Amino acid sequence: MSDILNQVFTGLSLASILLLVSLGLAIIYGTMGVINLAHGEFVMLGAYTVWFLQKNFGLDLLPCLVVSFFAVAAAGWLIERLIVRHLYKRPLDTILATWGVSVILQQGIRLTAGAELRYVKMPGWLSNAVPVLGVEVSAYRIFIFVLTLLLLAATYLLFARTRYGFSLRAVTQNQEVSRCFGINAARVYSLTFAYGAGLAGVAGALIAPLKSVSPDMGTGAVIDAFMVVVMGGVASLMGTVASAAIIGQVSGLLAFVYNDTVAKALVFFGVVILIRFMPEGIFSVRVRRG
Amino acid sequence: MTDTNSMRWRLTGYVLFCVIILVFPYILNNDYLLNKYARYLIFGVLSAALSFSWGYTGILNLGQAVSFGLGSYAMAMALKLRTIPIQTGAGGLPDFMVWNNVKALPWFWEPFHSYTFAVFAGLGIPMLLAFVLGWFMFRGRITGVFVAIITLAMLVVINLVIVDQQKYTGGFNGITDLSTFKAFGVGFDAYSLSTYYLVAGTLCVVLLGGLAITRTKLGLILQAIRDDENRVRYFGYDVASYQNFAFTLSAGVAGFAGMLYTLVMEFASPTFLSVQLSLSIVIWCAVGGRGSLLGAALGAILVTGVQGNLSESPTFLDTWMLIMGAIFIIVVLFLPNGLISLAEKGVRLLKHKSARETATHPVAGAAIATFDSKRVRES
Repeated sequence: MSDILNQVFTGLSLASILLLVSLGLAIIYGTMGVINLAHGEFVMLGAYTVWFLQKNFGLDLLPCLVVSFFAVAAAGWLIERLIVRHLYKRPLDTILATWGVSVILQQGIRLTAGAELRYVKMPGWLSNAVPVLGVEVSAYRIFIFVLTLLLLAATYLLFARTRYGFSLRAVTQNQEVSRCFGINAARVYSLTFAYGAGLAGVAGALIAPLKSVSPDMGTGAVIDAFMVVVMGGVASLMGTVASAAIIGQVSGLLAFVYNDTVAKALVFFGVVILIRFMPEGIFSVRVRRG
Repeated sequence: MTDTNSMRWRLTGYVLFCVIILVFPYILNNDYLLNKYARYLIFGVLSAALSFSWGYTGILNLGQAVSFGLGSYAMAMALKLRTIPIQTGAGGLPDFMVWNNVKALPWFWEPFHSYTFAVFAGLGIPMLLAFVLGWFMFRGRITGVFVAIITLAMLVVINLVIVDQQKYTGGFNGITDLSTFKAFGVGFDAYSLSTYYLVAGTLCVVLLGGLAITRTKLGLILQAIRDDENRVRYFGYDVASYQNFAFTLSAGVAGFAGMLYTLVMEFASPTFLSVQLSLSIVIWCAVGGRGSLLGAALGAILVTGVQGNLSESPTFLDTWMLIMGAIFIIVVLFLPNGLISLAEKGVRLLKHKSARETATHPVAGAAIATFDSKRVRES
């Protein structure tokens, strides 16, 4: 019994990290139709922000999370302004341009911060284990889980209840008509891209104490996020959440039975088979393909 | 009329290029340089293969290096089994298997004792993989950006598996210490003229054969799918089969290029199916011109040539990736059809001056070009 519970908690922890990484990707894709290949590098930037702040100012993780969000959001905003903005009519080319951005970010970090692995300290008050339902669970993983739920709720409220969210949904549905109603679509796009990037930054900051920080840490993270987006579809936040939960649990289980690599491969083949029968993801409304 | 005219220009360009690479060894008789240029030409093959699926059919395959790497491993496995007994374990067991405590040759290594099997595997395995993946994607009507990220994910997954299965694949180190490939009484040493001609000949066949395919009805349908998939579907064509054909053929060519690369490099390594190589292929193709097989090949030769010369100075070794990324972004933003589009523009201007004719779109066939000339290409 406790083994099963342990496995479920591991899966939940994997799923919450996965969700944090893929949420930004899904939001950006859902709104603009842009797959941001630099998303993994945004995660990496978030992790390096924490490392930098800890090393130079000795900050605790919590303030670092806030700084990571805004720093990476600013980077995302800049990239949208300078590059992505000009390519909205050529969706395939946004992949290429953001891939170029990811190369530059990766190499830029390698040249400035060094190519060696960096380590980030876990805050003291989160480094012990807490008993939950008779199973010892790392407090840090619970912290990630709770924070993910909070961020998810915040994102939902942002989209459903604010003026910005209202404009965002309008622009997503029909850009031209919403512009006729005085919504500044360009500004909405920039903000959304920045918000998605900021979420990736927080994800990176949260992963940092669990794994080592390196310039190419983003690649692995973003591949899992692709799987989530492909499987969940982009119609709703729910799709992303459900698919992150499923992939997190399944890969946790497979990694336990085999190893991480085999788990990744099996999840990939599972997703490929799934899209043959549900091309628009598991949570999409059937629409006429235009 | 204008179409056959522009065709004549293109054919001239292709044939001229083929002649240049074929007479090249007579101008430059240096084994080391010959080996280096053979490498560049292989990248040309790889880039032209991507141009066929991406530029002509609209399938952006970010995992092209998978086919390349699998081809190179197939060749390396066959050559590894023929190395001189000093470097192998009991019964010809490859050295890295001995180090990893593998007692007997695994079953999937056995057939690689035969060259014929290895060559067919180097072509067939990438094609089969592409065909199966393509079947799932294109039958599910997955297109555009999703094809791109699924192929990229496949690349990362397969790379991880190859590194992980060290016992059978040599892991990080790959497969090294290979024997020399021999076929029909000719040895293909990495620095020999025969290898250069094998590579150059392959590039010529790929370029001219590819150009021929794009002129057939099949080729026109592929280009029509790139421009407007649904419209072609409404005409009653089975779009998924055509897409899968282009995807699979491109994978086969890339697999063959991978086999040649093993001959030229004398080893196979997981870097042959790395994200970085796949990215490079896309960059070559974009810089040269995705809509032209020759443009894509030239892009590969140009970029790797510059890279090869710059990386000899240590300052550029570090900044090279930065420069690549920047060039890539600039080309995507300002020159979406690559450098070759400048040349084509030049040719069209020349023609315009002499004949006072209005030029048609150079890429798509006449029927489709007139049918749908105003639409901006969207994926």
